Amino acid sequence: MDETVLPGAGSHDELSAAALPAHLYIHVPFCSSKCSYCDFFSITDVSDERIEPVRRGLDDQIARWAELGLPGMIETMYIGGGTPTVLTTRLVELLRIAFDAFDRSDRAEVTVEANPDSLTSLLVESLAEAGATRISLGVQSFDARELALLGRAHTVDDALIGCEAVRMAGMDLSVDLMCGIPGQSVDTWLESLEQVLTTGARHVSVYPLTLEEGTPLQSACSEGRLRAPDPDLTATLMRIAEECLQSAGLRRYEVANYAVPGHESRHNLAYWTSRQYIGIGPSAHGMLDVPTAIAAGVLDPEQAADASRVRYSEADDLDEWLAGAGGEVELLSAAEAAREDVMLELRLTRGTTIAQVERANLMPVMEDLESLGLIERGGTGEQTRFRTTSRGWLLGNEVFSRVWAGV
Amino acid sequence: MSDPSHIRNFSIIAHIDHGKSTLADRILELTHTVADRDMKEQVLDSMDIERERGITIKAQAVRVMYEADDGQTYQLNLIDTPGHVDFTYEVSRSLQACEGVLLVVDAAQGVEAQTVANAMMATNADLEIIPVINKIDLPAADPERVRHEIEEGLTIPADDAVLASGKTGEGVCEALEAVVKRVPPPVGDPDAPLSALIFDSYFDTYRGVVALIRIVDGEVRKNMKIRLMATGVVTDVEEVGVRRPANMPVDALTVGEVGYLVTGLKDPALVKVGDTVTPAKHGATEPLPGYRDVKPMVYTGLFPIDGDQYPDLRDALDKLKLNDPALIFEPENSHALGFGFRVGFLGLLHMEVVKERLEREFDLDLLATAPSVAYRVTRTDGEVLEIHSPQDMPDPGHIDHVEEPYLTAQVIVPPDYVGAVMELAEGRRATFKNMQYLSKTTVDMHYEIPLSELIMDFFDQLKSRTKGYASLDYEFLGYRRGDLVKLDILLAGKPVDALSFIVHKDKAYARGKVLTEKLREIIPRQMFEVPIQAAIGGRILARETVRAKRKDVLAKCYGGDITRKRKLLEKQKKGKKRMKSVGNVEVPQEAFMAILKVDD
Ligand SMILES: Nc1nc2c(ncn2[C@@H]2O[C@H](COP(=O)(O)OP(=O)(O)OP(=O)(O)O)[C@@H](O)[C@H]2O)c(=O)[nH]1
Ligand code: SF4
Ligand SMILES: [Mg+2]
Repeated sequence: MDETVLPGAGSHDELSAAALPAHLYIHVPFCSSKCSYCDFFSITDVSDERIEPVRRGLDDQIARWAELGLPGMIETMYIGGGTPTVLTTRLVELLRIAFDAFDRSDRAEVTVEANPDSLTSLLVESLAEAGATRISLGVQSFDARELALLGRAHTVDDALIGCEAVRMAGMDLSVDLMCGIPGQSVDTWLESLEQVLTTGARHVSVYPLTLEEGTPLQSACSEGRLRAPDPDLTATLMRIAEECLQSAGLRRYEVANYAVPGHESRHNLAYWTSRQYIGIGPSAHGMLDVPTAIAAGVLDPEQAADASRVRYSEADDLDEWLAGAGGEVELLSAAEAAREDVMLELRLTRGTTIAQVERANLMPVMEDLESLGLIERGGTGEQTRFRTTSRGWLLGNEVFSRVWAGV
Repeated sequence: MSDPSHIRNFSIIAHIDHGKSTLADRILELTHTVADRDMKEQVLDSMDIERERGITIKAQAVRVMYEADDGQTYQLNLIDTPGHVDFTYEVSRSLQACEGVLLVVDAAQGVEAQTVANAMMATNADLEIIPVINKIDLPAADPERVRHEIEEGLTIPADDAVLASGKTGEGVCEALEAVVKRVPPPVGDPDAPLSALIFDSYFDTYRGVVALIRIVDGEVRKNMKIRLMATGVVTDVEEVGVRRPANMPVDALTVGEVGYLVTGLKDPALVKVGDTVTPAKHGATEPLPGYRDVKPMVYTGLFPIDGDQYPDLRDALDKLKLNDPALIFEPENSHALGFGFRVGFLGLLHMEVVKERLEREFDLDLLATAPSVAYRVTRTDGEVLEIHSPQDMPDPGHIDHVEEPYLTAQVIVPPDYVGAVMELAEGRRATFKNMQYLSKTTVDMHYEIPLSELIMDFFDQLKSRTKGYASLDYEFLGYRRGDLVKLDILLAGKPVDALSFIVHKDKAYARGKVLTEKLREIIPRQMFEVPIQAAIGGRILARETVRAKRKDVLAKCYGGDITRKRKLLEKQKKGKKRMKSVGNVEVPQEAFMAILKVDD
C-alpha cells in the first residue's frame, strides 16, 4: 500500500459531515470456552497476558481512528465477540475510552454482546453507568440438555439471572435463541419461547443452527453419534417462533429478528440498509464509501478505479493483528453494490423499493422469485415494494443468492 | 553405438499389487539410476492419480546400466507394467518391445487371475519368463506353495524362481543376473534401414507428440527425416533419447534399444501406437506387426459440465489417446446433457482414470453417464445395429431380438469361498463351466457371464464376499441373445435419456425400484416436488418422490460480516453448478452413475 494513504495521512476535510460513518463495531475475540457448534474466531485463553495486548491494541486503534475524525457522530455502537463480557472491568474501561475518543449522539444505541456465564449484575450496572444502553444476551436455549449439547458455558438459571440483571439496570434486553438443535422438539422449543417472553426481552433473535465444517457438533452428527437436525422440523420451529413472538407483540422486522416496535436494533438495521460502519479489532469488518475508505487509508486511491463501495476486515490472526498487519479489502462496483443493497433489504420485512430493484437491474430475478412464491409485491407504480414471503424467509439462500448473482 | 549383445529388454509383469513397481525401485537404486534425493516409493508411478491410488496405470519404460557378475556392463531397458485387468493392453504392448519378463508373484497371495493372464501373454509372445517369488519378507510368505502353484497353474518351471523382496532388496541382484543370463539379447540388422515400433506415446505441450520406440533394425538420429508407415506422415526427428526415468537426449538409438523420439508433430492424430518408424527415403518395405485394435468393454457418455468446453474435450481426447491407445470415442448428443462423446473403455477403472486424467491434465469439468455395453440389435426389417448407448435403442415394436456380449470369467479363490462366488454368480445370470485346484489353497473357477452383469459392481461384490481373496480375469466370448428391455427414468414427468439403461426383463422391476430409491437419496430437495419414475415403454414400474425443500437459510451474520455471507452464498451456488439442470431439476453428477451401485 502506498505510504501516503496510511491511517492518519489522509484528509477528510472534503468529506461532508453527513457522509461520515455513524456506526461503530468493536470486536472482542475472547470466550470463556468454545461452544460445540462454533467456527467463529475466538480465543479461550483469557489470561491477563493474552487479553492485555489486545486491549492495548484496541485502545491504539480507537486513538488512530479518532485522529482521523472517524467515525462522525456515533448513532449506534456495538461491542461484539466472542464474548466481550469476559473482559469484565476492562470492558467498562474500553467503553469509556471509546466514548472519550468519539462523539456520540444523545440518543445513541450502545449494545454490548454478553453471555450469561460472564454477566454479573455488578458488570451490568457498571456498563449501564458507563453509557451502554442495550445488552444482547446469548442464551440460545432454556433447555438444560440443549445447552449442554451446544457446549454453552451457562445454565438455564444463569440465563434467567442475567436477564433479570439487565432489566433491573433499566437497559434494553435482546435475547438470542437457536432452533434446529439436535434432539430439539416442538415442546422444548415452545418452552424456550415461553421463557424468553417472561424475561422482559423486547428484542429476540432466532437463528437456525448450522453445522459448520470442523466443529465438534458437526463431526458428532457426521459420525452418527448425534442425529443431525431435520430441516423440515427446523422450518416448523421457525414458523412457530414467528407465530409465538408476533402474538406476544414482538414484530418480525428482519429474517431472524423480532422486536417490540421501537426496540429494533438500529445497529443491525444499519447493516441491512447499507450504511457505512467502522469495524475495530481482530477480524472486525467495516463498510465504507470510497472517499471515506481513501481518507481512512483503507484504500489506495489508485485502486479505487470503478469501485463504489469498500468492505474491509482487519487481520483475523491475532498475532498478525497485534503486529499491525492489515486484513482484506473487497471492492464492489456500483452494480454489485446495488445488488447487495437489494439482497440486504430483502432481509427486512419492509423489503425494498422498485427504484432500488430497477437500479440493480433485478426486475427479471424479482419476477422469477415472485413466481416461486418467495417474494411478493405491495403497492403500485413508484410506490411498489418487494417483500420476502414467509416461504421466502425459510428459503432465504435461494432468494439472496439469486439476487446477488443477478440471475 | 551399443552392442546388442549387451542389451536386455524386459517387462515386469504380475497381478495387481504383487510388488512390480517396488521391485523396480530397488533396481533403480541398485543401478544408481535415480539420485537418492529423488527416490521415493514406486518412483515410476509418476502420475498423481497413480500415487493417490497406489497402483500403476501406465507402463513406464526406463533404462538402467547394470554391472553384472561377469564384470561387464549391460544396458537394461525395463518396463514396469500395471497389474489391473483394465490395463492388460498396456502389458501386451510392452511385451512387444521385450525379449523377456520378470513374472512377479506375491509369496503370500500366490498365483492370482492376472498372474495367469499375463503369464499366458508372455508365453504366447515367446518371451523368456523368469518367475520371481516376491515379498518373501512377509510373515505369511509361503514360497514353496507359490512355487507349486506356478508350476501347476501356469505350467512354468519354477525350481530356479528367484526369491526376492522389493522391501528389503533381497534377491534383486539375482533377478538381474537371471535377466542377463537368460533373456536373449535383441536381434536385428544394424545395416538395414531403420525400423522401429512405436509402443507408447504422449503429448508434450511444448514439443508436441513424443513417441516411445523400440528399434528393431537400423538406427535413428536427430534431424533424420522419417516416415510413419501407417499414417504416411513425414517429419524431421527433433530429438532422440532415453528415459532414466527423466528424458535424457542421446545421439542415436540403435538396434535393440528402447527410447523416445520427439516427432515435432503437433497433431496427435498423425501418430499411432503400433505404427512403424522408418526413413522417409529408402525405408523398410514391410511394417512391423504392430498391435491389434482393442475392443472396448464398456461405453459411457462424457459431457462437459460447461457446454462451452465441448471443443476442449475433443482436443483433450485426441491428445489423451496418444497416451492411451485403448481409448475410443465418437460424438454423442443427449437431450438432457447436450453435446459430448460416447467413449469406449476397457473397464470401469479405466473409465474412472480417463475421466480423472481429462479433468486434471486438461482442466475440464466432466459428467459421466452410467456405463453400458455394446448391444447388437436385429430390427424387424432385418437390419443389425450395434448400439453403444441405451438412448439409441429402437422402439420395442421395431426390435426382432437383442444380443449382448458374454465373457468367460476366471475367478481364483481359496476353497472356503467357492460357495460365496457361486451364490454371487447365480444372481448375475452366469453359467458355471468348471473348476480346478491350483493347489490345496487355491481354486480356479470358470464362468460365462454377460458383460453387463460384470460391470454392475460385480468386482466389488466379489471382493467383499470373499474377504478380498478372490481375483478375477475375463475375456470376450461372443454375443448371445437375451431378453433385454430398455428402462426409462423420468424426472418430474419427463424421460431423461442419460439415465435410461438396458436390463434383462426379469430384473427390470427390481432394478427400477432400487434405482428410483437411490435417486431419491441422491437428488437434493428442490424448490418443488420432483417425482422420479422408472418405466418400460409407457408402463410405470416404480415411483419415488423428492419432497420440496422447506428450509435453506444461513446462520447468524456476525458483526456485519456481509462479505462472508455473500461468499457462502456464492459457494453454495458453485456447488449447484457442479450439478446438471435437467429440465428444471438440479441433478448431481453421481445420479448418472447410481445404476452401478444398485445391488440386487
Ligand atoms: N512386505 C512387502 N511389501 C511389499 C513388497 N513389495 C511391495 N510391497 C508392498 O505392496 C504394495 C504394492 O506394491 P507395488 O510395488 O505398488 O505393486 P505393483 O505390483 O506395482 O502394483 P500395480 O502396479 O498396481 O499392479 C505396496 O504397499 C508395497 O509397499 C515386499 O517385498 N515386501
Ligand atoms: S460464545 Fe459465541 S463466539 Fe464464543 S465460542 Fe460460543 S458461539 Fe463461539
Ligand atoms: Mg505398479
